Amino acid sequence: MFRNQYDTDVTTWSPTGRLFQVEYAMEAVKQGSAAVGLRSRSHVVLASVNKAQSELSSHQRKIFKVDDHIGVAIAGLTADGRVLSRYMRSESINHSFTYESPLPVGRLVVRLADKAQVCTQRSWKRPYGVGLLVGGLDESGAHLYYNCPSGNYFEYEAFAIGSRSQAAKTYLERRFESFKESSREDLIKDAILAIRETLQGETLKSSLCTVSVLGVDEPFHFLDQESIQKVIDTFEKVAEEEEDGGEAQAEADAPVEQGGAGDQDVAPMEM
Amino acid sequence: MTFTIPIDNGDAVKNAEADSQRTLYPYVTGTSIVAIKYKDGVLMASDMGGSYGSTLRYKNIERMKAIGKHSLLGASGEISDFQEILRYLDELVLNDNMWDDGNSLGPKEVHNYLTRVMYNRRNKFNPLWNTLVLGGVKNGETYLGMVSMIGVSFEDNHVATGFGNHLARPILRDEWHADLSFEDGVKLLEKCMRVLLYRDRSAINKLQIAKITEEGVTVSQPYSLKTFWEFKAFHNPTAGAEGSW
Repeated sequence: MFRNQYDTDVTTWSPTGRLFQVEYAMEAVKQGSAAVGLRSRSHVVLASVNKAQSELSSHQRKIFKVDDHIGVAIAGLTADGRVLSRYMRSESINHSFTYESPLPVGRLVVRLADKAQVCTQRSWKRPYGVGLLVGGLDESGAHLYYNCPSGNYFEYEAFAIGSRSQAAKTYLERRFESFKESSREDLIKDAILAIRETLQGETLKSSLCTVSVLGVDEPFHFLDQESIQKVIDTFEKVAEEEEDGGEAQAEADAPVEQGGAGDQDVAPMEM
Repeated sequence: MTFTIPIDNGDAVKNAEADSQRTLYPYVTGTSIVAIKYKDGVLMASDMGGSYGSTLRYKNIERMKAIGKHSLLGASGEISDFQEILRYLDELVLNDNMWDDGNSLGPKEVHNYLTRVMYNRRNKFNPLWNTLVLGGVKNGETYLGMVSMIGVSFEDNHVATGFGNHLARPILRDEWHADLSFEDGVKLLEKCMRVLLYRDRSAINKLQIAKITEEGVTVSQPYSLKTFWEFKAFHNPTAGAEGSW
């Protein structure tokens, strides 16, 4: 994508019917560090890569609890993500207060999308530069949605966003048909494996990722480092044995990256 | 009873207008509602009278209405405020249906919404002069609750409003039990309604019984209860009271 005369503000269409500012906002999502989400009939798992600005600093928080039955993982401008999480928490708690009942995640997602759309149609605003993976429950079970800066939202069986997410998506595409009936444990394992794909050869350690679970009888919570490490241990050993066959295939699967050459292109405000 | 809130913005005319908009006392009122949980859901009974003070002016008022797919609302108190509440709920159910997403408002949600509305109005010194009974069934779970005009709200296995609290609930406390059959439930309600008919002067002998189950709401046709007035005590009721006629 190159600079052109139609990309200065969000209220200018290009002759080919594109809003470039919105598309640039979606680029910002691709620059953030990876986040993945998967769902079964009764559970949703959200996982993210812990990226720290430097060795001295702590890592950015990318997964937020919105309510006992809704969680969100973000990629892109984390400040925008934080503000939208606060909005989601507010909507959720207002609904709970009035109706004493959890807000169905599908309805929250639409409100979020409508909020994002407003920013694509005002000359004095800019689109939110963050993609959100929203996992939650409603009457029909567990759902996973992806909200993008354009104001669109989609429901997914599994999805990955952020840098090197294509590798995770490829992994998920191979296995998504089994997720619906997956057990909670298998779902968590698949999430961590998907995260591993985005690390491109870096050894997977529990300190590198954050994993969260929510389910029909399980309020949203984060898994502690120990539990994550245990899951990693179950397959890291197997991976060592498969090294020759497996790794070659993983490298063939991961195509040339969209979203920059990696870390040195990440702007400080994006994580 | 007058509720006047002193507002001094220097505008006597505007204040007077605003004051005349607030509910100060009820005009056309409905009397008790009695409701119980039974095996398949909730049974609710009310008579069809609308009193204008001590005159029984209207005798065909339906004080129980279905709300959405899963709830039944009964009201005593000011009839026009009940109609206002039905308008609020109509909008609520409409918006809920417009989502068209497989989620729907259950009786618990409606009850809590009404509690918020009633309490907020009470805080503005402009109450909706009703006591509401909300019953319903959703996903196999039976729900029965009540909200008063000041926002007092609770759930129970059996509820009653107005005179029903004093005359019907003692009967229900003794005779209600879980998993009543439909016939036993109706008999129990009729027993309560008969006592109310004898003793509540704003009750009329024309009642409806509504039932709500997982399948939906049915409101019966109006009918009358058999009464017996030949008790010895009714023959000369003031016999013991000196100076009465």
